[in-house]
Amino acid sequence: MSAEEVYRQEFPVKGGDFAKAGAVACLIKELLKDMGLDPKTVRRAAIAAYEAEMNVIMYAWEARVDLAVSPQEVRITVDDRGPGIADIELAMTEGYSTATTEMRELGFGAGMGLPNIKRNSDDLRVDSQTGRGTRLEIIIRTNGHVTT
Amino acid sequence: MKDKNYHSIHITKDRCIGCVHCMSACPTKAIRVRDGKAVIIDELCIDCAECLRVCPYDAVHSHTTSFAALDVFAYKVAIPSTVIYGQFGAAVLPNEILSALRRVGFDEVYDLSSICELNCAATEEYLNEHPRPRPYITSTCPVVVRIIQRRYPTLCGQILPIEPPREIAAKILRTILPKGLGIPAEKIGIIHITPCPAKMVSINSPASLDRSYLDGAISVRDIFPQILSALRKSEEDALMRHLFPETLLSGIGMGWPLSGGETRGLKSHRAVAVSGIQDTMRALDQVEAGLLQDIDVLECTVCPDGCVGGPLEVENRFLAKSRILELVAAAGEHAVVDQKDASRLYHKNFLSFDHPVTPVESRPLDRDPAKAIRKARRRDRLSADLPRKDCGVCGAPDCRTLADDIVRGQASLEDCPFVKKKKEK
Repeated sequence: MSAEEVYRQEFPVKGGDFAKAGAVACLIKELLKDMGLDPKTVRRAAIAAYEAEMNVIMYAWEARVDLAVSPQEVRITVDDRGPGIADIELAMTEGYSTATTEMRELGFGAGMGLPNIKRNSDDLRVDSQTGRGTRLEIIIRTNGHVTT
Repeated sequence: MKDKNYHSIHITKDRCIGCVHCMSACPTKAIRVRDGKAVIIDELCIDCAECLRVCPYDAVHSHTTSFAALDVFAYKVAIPSTVIYGQFGAAVLPNEILSALRRVGFDEVYDLSSICELNCAATEEYLNEHPRPRPYITSTCPVVVRIIQRRYPTLCGQILPIEPPREIAAKILRTILPKGLGIPAEKIGIIHITPCPAKMVSINSPASLDRSYLDGAISVRDIFPQILSALRKSEEDALMRHLFPETLLSGIGMGWPLSGGETRGLKSHRAVAVSGIQDTMRALDQVEAGLLQDIDVLECTVCPDGCVGGPLEVENRFLAKSRILELVAAAGEHAVVDQKDASRLYHKNFLSFDHPVTPVESRPLDRDPAKAIRKARRRDRLSADLPRKDCGVCGAPDCRTLADDIVRGQASLEDCPFVKKKKEK
């Protein structure tokens, strides 16, 4: 795929910034709509991006979200500096959560984050180093769909 | 009539001075100033009337039905929005307003609060029968339906498919009146009275019906003086009329024009009410991101505080709201609809949409994804060159939108006064 065919944009996310929760996912959604991806792909990407963004806000210190869009796929890479995930397999289990009581009171931390990202993506890679951070690579294939 | 491009909101060119008020207020960035006049981009306009509210020069107007236009009908029926009850101060009772409307020239006037209650009962049944998806979104506000079709196309299936009270009322009257009166259906005019210009859009270009059951909508603002003068002429009688209420008002339906009023009567479902265009869009963004699934029904109205904040009302919305709250308190939980009737109508599908609401074609940068991606890249580069002052002098509401217009071939970089000045140096 030639560089000219890929749209790239990066967004910073700050840990603990609940006031801006969902802002990056919204920007990504608008960009994908502008690029004519079909609404279902846009929605899957928006849900995956939202969950990833919320994971950063809830658990990490900061992160960079990289969006790369080609006619074939949407790739969202989230690289955070944070505590990392000790047991990725456990974190992928629906309902498993390390959220604090305060987070749960705000309606977050139901333990659906990573499983929900997995459900809404075609490929998900999670790399994590405890005490340093986590890198998520989310791929959503577009099948070259165009809005009609 | 079903016109895809019908809009109620229009710019009066003679009055427009080409300032930027409407353009900055537009939530969908549908307005540009071209050749010194505001123009509305049809595909983007959702008829929310934010522009009408802010124009200092009275240059934005809405097409609503005029009273004189009703002369084509042999029999005129009014079904006013319950917002009307909040327009005439604390001493005037709903029944007086309804009878004043008769004296204005309507042959019959029907209160909508009972139909609001009916809608609520049908909503309850629908939610019981459909545990998924969540949340459903109510369809009373035609602007919400239009914004979903255009900006949140994947949420079309989450619009609760029960027609709003105004259409249900008109459908019932259209069914029973011709037989009862012996007048041909086409000679009976059924008119909504409303503080909302978007009702004209849902009448002329319905999103969920093959054809609207209403023949038009008169704005509260237009008919207010006539009602007021009819009320003044009968102040003496009003005292007596209080003792013989002609219409039974529904306590459950009365609060309908206030945010939260549509869902207040739900007994076994969790509802959340959102009002105002920005908050509505934020809530819909959340639903699209997969949130709010623990809510059964999301009531959205784009006017502040609900329909009571409609742009075409007369009374200050806070006073109107306070008056309606008094009426709600006075009516209490008084129900006028028999649950069995409601259930029968619901199961006959009499209250449902004719067809689902479908997405309206979006407006990508290009139909070809590879080209759209190139244009998005170019738009980012252009945005970086623009001053980000969002002054509106170029004719677009902000720098980002100018960049968007440029890549779509509808504007040029030199439209920006800052860029132009820099180049001239």
